[in-house]
Amino acid sequence: MNRRLNPSLIVGGFIVGLIVLIALLSFIWTPYDATLVDSSIRLAKPSWSHWFGTDKFGRDILSQLMVGARTTLFVGLVAVGVAAVIGVPVGILAAMTPRWPSEVIMRSNDLLLAFPALLLAIMFGAVFGASTLTAMIAIGIATVPSFARVIRSGALQVMRTEYVLAARAAGRRPVPIAVRHVLPNVVSLITVQASVSFAIAVLAEAALSFLGYGTAPPTPSWGRMLQESQEFLFSAPRLAVFPGLAIAVAVLGFNLLGDGLRDRFDPRLEDRR
Amino acid sequence: MKSLAAALVGSAALLAVAACSAGSGTSSGTSPGADQSLAIGLVAEPASLDFTTTDGAAIPQALLGNIYNGLVKQDETGKIVPDLAKSWTVSPDRKTYTFTLVDNAKFTNGQQFTADDAVFSIDRVKTAWTTSLKSAMDVVQTAKAVSPTELQVTLSKPSNDWLFRMTTRIGAMFSKTGVDKLATDPVGTGPYKFSEWKRGDSIVLQRNADYWGSKPYFGQVTLKYFKDPTALNNALLTGTINVIGTVQAPEALSQFTGNDKYQVIEGTTNGEVLLSFNNSRPVFKDIRVRQAIRSAINHQALMDTCWAGRGKLIGSMVPPTDPWYEDLTGIAPYDQAKAKSLLQAAGATGATLRLRLPTLPYATSCGQVVKSQLEQAGLKVQIDQLEFPAAWLTSVLKGGDYDMSIISHVEPRDLRQVFNAKYYTKYDDPTLKQYLDAADAGDEATQIAEMKKAARRISEQAAADWLFLLPNLIVADKNIQGLPKNAITESFDLSRLTR
Repeated sequence: MNRRLNPSLIVGGFIVGLIVLIALLSFIWTPYDATLVDSSIRLAKPSWSHWFGTDKFGRDILSQLMVGARTTLFVGLVAVGVAAVIGVPVGILAAMTPRWPSEVIMRSNDLLLAFPALLLAIMFGAVFGASTLTAMIAIGIATVPSFARVIRSGALQVMRTEYVLAARAAGRRPVPIAVRHVLPNVVSLITVQASVSFAIAVLAEAALSFLGYGTAPPTPSWGRMLQESQEFLFSAPRLAVFPGLAIAVAVLGFNLLGDGLRDRFDPRLEDRR
Repeated sequence: MKSLAAALVGSAALLAVAACSAGSGTSSGTSPGADQSLAIGLVAEPASLDFTTTDGAAIPQALLGNIYNGLVKQDETGKIVPDLAKSWTVSPDRKTYTFTLVDNAKFTNGQQFTADDAVFSIDRVKTAWTTSLKSAMDVVQTAKAVSPTELQVTLSKPSNDWLFRMTTRIGAMFSKTGVDKLATDPVGTGPYKFSEWKRGDSIVLQRNADYWGSKPYFGQVTLKYFKDPTALNNALLTGTINVIGTVQAPEALSQFTGNDKYQVIEGTTNGEVLLSFNNSRPVFKDIRVRQAIRSAINHQALMDTCWAGRGKLIGSMVPPTDPWYEDLTGIAPYDQAKAKSLLQAAGATGATLRLRLPTLPYATSCGQVVKSQLEQAGLKVQIDQLEFPAAWLTSVLKGGDYDMSIISHVEPRDLRQVFNAKYYTKYDDPTLKQYLDAADAGDEATQIAEMKKAARRISEQAAADWLFLLPNLIVADKNIQGLPKNAITESFDLSRLTR
């Protein structure tokens, strides 16, 4: 098997690429204005003019899904960004400090890890008001521990390599070592972790919007589309199917991409072959 | 009467006393010995059980008429009829009311109800109440107990509104020795007594064995509160509750309409869904902007879209159950071209307005339609959502920090309370006040004529937009009787219900 181009990587990359393309496309073109209410065509069935039909406001579902992809990606990017910006330095710091400060960092990390991400986000929503921004930041903070943990283990390995030992023997300060030697060697770990976290962030945003703690109407969001379809589960179940599928496919895509990237980068897998 | 800035914004349809639509088996004395229980599903749990200090329609909905009695109450036709007062007379100058009270009413703390308690309750509105509704009692000069069963109330000027307000929560009778724990342990003379409040879940009421009137049918009634409209529907489908007091997901009604196990009741309420304007904002000082907004909204399409077409279009702050109702929907018909040219003339095309919505199903839903329709007319609308009740009451109702909002005002006859410089609408209009004062002071015919003028005035002045009137939409097990068709009072009268 060609490890560089494994199936997970190809399929995951394709799905993610497609979502990114759709999101970008939505900036310049959607079939209809995604927030335009037209009561005369409410709850229209899928047809040539509205491929996925319309919702209870007469809004085109396809257009909403396209704009919703933007929300999804944006939330994922910011949440993962927040997690990486905090989690990576914390992980490296934990790997480079002596035993007890490292223990303190990692135990407080575990404490946060034990705290459910959704609960944290709902708390944030209650305190700072429900919005996409608070949801993104809360999801990001909740993802910090998993980043820190993975990066720390990677950094520990790097710290034991001869070139780092040599650098330390030569009297280089810890910060240059971290930036010059440790960070470049954990970039692949960061990429993999980011991709997996992205999937989690997408799901979390959907769940929060479903609960009313995420994206505020009328900005399209897959989670809120699901929520709005609730009262139609008996009369027009298709309203729930399309956003549901979009969420499932996006999460699958990011997970596959994460798997693929791990296979691509993980040196241990290389040794095994 | 002074302006009373009532805060009677409630969640949704308030259900009421009103008509025994579905047959009235009650009177035949269905043995109150039958120890049956009933569970009713409602939305928007009260924040406290003390309506003397806390706003919100959910509190009188649960307590008024059930735990508390007033001196008078409204019957199903809206007429004022005796409750704790057996009868009353009005002096020729219409300023002195003499009530003859029942002599066999007891509070649930064991105390006898006397005229002293009535005096205490009336005076207490002025001294201890903190909600803006208390101003309804400002017109009272003195209240005195002539004998244990005779109460005399003197007003500073004739007022049609005062006796009517006595049918609302303002007229609730409290025990002199039972007001220490109103927020958690209310004491009244009603057919039910307070049993338990599981916060976030339910309020349980037990039949008051010492009730002075005819005993209610159900021995125990549970008011169960739901946040999610779909969960509320499902609770009825699974038998957790017997009645949906107010349907919040009208699109899902088809689950019940075709099903023999359930009855669906549809009528009107006092819940005018208002697109309120902050009239103190410079942009709303221009009547053309307000009129443009009213013309830009296609009300029928809006109601069809966001509330499944259920409800009634009204053109002003008067529900069809009030004596001075007129169909005023013709004052601001949907006309997008006119809206555009009005905005143009006012120089407000492209203006950005902040629409702050409470997290209530009808507001979230209708807000998106309003935004879309106003943007087609050339305005920009920014929506944000505020948690209801706490955040919305603080920011919008008390803080006035908004341009537009959407809320149902469920207080009966609340035109004066809502369109008032001191209320969150910041609507200051001396002409309106003149009409209202004339209505309050005049005889019945004058009252009706002047109230009609007032209703027309606020509609023509576009003091707000009336999106629609919430329907009284109840779904219940087939065998529950005594549910009201129209909800015209503040209370959900449990004593009329039978199985």
